[in-house]
Amino acid sequence: MDKVLCSVATRGRYFTTLPLVLNAIINQTKLPDKLIIFDDNDDFQDMRKEMIYQYFFQMLDIKGIPWEWRVAEKKGQHHIHQHANLAGYDWVWRVDDDAVPEPNALYNLFRWTNTNVGAVGGSILTPPYMPDTSQVTGTIDNINSEPNIQWGFIKRKKEVEHLHCSFLYRAGVHDYNLGLSRVAHREETLFTYGLYQKGYKILVVPDAVTWHMKNPQGGIRAETNADLYARDERIFNNTLACRNNTVVVLNCGRGDHIVFKHILPLIKNPIVFSCYPDIIPGNTIAEAINFFGDLDQWNIYKKMDHWKWKDSLDSAFRKLYL
Amino acid sequence: MIIIAPYAQQLRTNKENPKNYPYWKELIAMIDEPIIQVGIEGEKQLVDDFRKNRSMEELSSLIQTCRTWISVDSFFQHLAWDQNKKGVVLWGPSDPIIFGHPENINLLKDRSHLVKNQFLWWEATEHQNERFVKPHIVLEYLKE
Repeated sequence: MDKVLCSVATRGRYFTTLPLVLNAIINQTKLPDKLIIFDDNDDFQDMRKEMIYQYFFQMLDIKGIPWEWRVAEKKGQHHIHQHANLAGYDWVWRVDDDAVPEPNALYNLFRWTNTNVGAVGGSILTPPYMPDTSQVTGTIDNINSEPNIQWGFIKRKKEVEHLHCSFLYRAGVHDYNLGLSRVAHREETLFTYGLYQKGYKILVVPDAVTWHMKNPQGGIRAETNADLYARDERIFNNTLACRNNTVVVLNCGRGDHIVFKHILPLIKNPIVFSCYPDIIPGNTIAEAINFFGDLDQWNIYKKMDHWKWKDSLDSAFRKLYL
Repeated sequence: MIIIAPYAQQLRTNKENPKNYPYWKELIAMIDEPIIQVGIEGEKQLVDDFRKNRSMEELSSLIQTCRTWISVDSFFQHLAWDQNKKGVVLWGPSDPIIFGHPENINLLKDRSHLVKNQFLWWEATEHQNERFVKPHIVLEYLKE
């Protein structure tokens, strides 16, 4: 049976919605294999001193759910999600600290998983806002022209191209963009669309409702700097602009470029960013950083390290790009 | 004529690159054949004919004229492979299965000398002579 990590990123909600979220997780009909609470608060407080949390921790122990309260890096929730993504589980159920899942949410998300699926989301309801989502496509092309399909009741399974807020996803196959600002505007859209681009199905499914108790106070996106939102939006738009290309970023050595030269002809519609244009012509690495914010998802050495790679560099490039 | 590419990339810390072969002087003394050294400005000159800072095109042309070549694990072994010219690669801490090409003669003393994590910066690894094969072993393969 695939293992599921439940990941909760929290900030500023110790005594508002976070206890509701934890209670909802503990009372799922399908329990996660582990719970990690990533505490991104500026002023960390030890919740072991709080009665209600003491009960939660005991309930987790009694139900046999390993749990961890981890102090986060205060770089934004995308960094937190990336830690969860690489924690070694098959799936990660990411739950926002103001998003309260109904008891059958994880069960009904998980039962749709298979080898072709990259992520599964349910309804994320934010009363009183209940738009009509019956005609929503869920495609990336329509992201700015239609409401998110998860904002309404989902009546039947549907394939889409992106998800938002809370969902279950296949871990370790696509990276969060760590070049986004602390606001991490569009982070989940970029992430789930990245899974979609890798060929995995992105599903919305019925009977997996989460109540989004949107709280203007606190929250992992508690930033008001408009420049940060604008910067993240630019990265998002640049990524979409390349959606019909295979983005190739060679931020590596000369020898690596020579090896990659033999793979480049096999790549469909590549757009190349290169360190050594005399070997592989392309845009510069500075342009890539400006365009995408962060290049780790193309860092072949980080990838080989993560994959515990034992095969050739040539094969690693093939795994990354083909 | 034999080309030698004796040095891996200079480290940012100026420490010796752990991939550098320690017995070049002895090896060169055993080779009875013209040798051309390739590399960059600042590297130690080991033979009379040292061609520095050559472009990719110039190096590729030179490779085509040699009988064979000897290199450490550097970009040169990839370039020569790209030019379909078989040569000898002298391995130490890096893994020829990952970074080498089976078309070459990959001389690794022992896999126990490989660093555990192959994907970190080489600054973190100390240079150790005992990782490398001795020159007389290289000479045997050079005759092939």
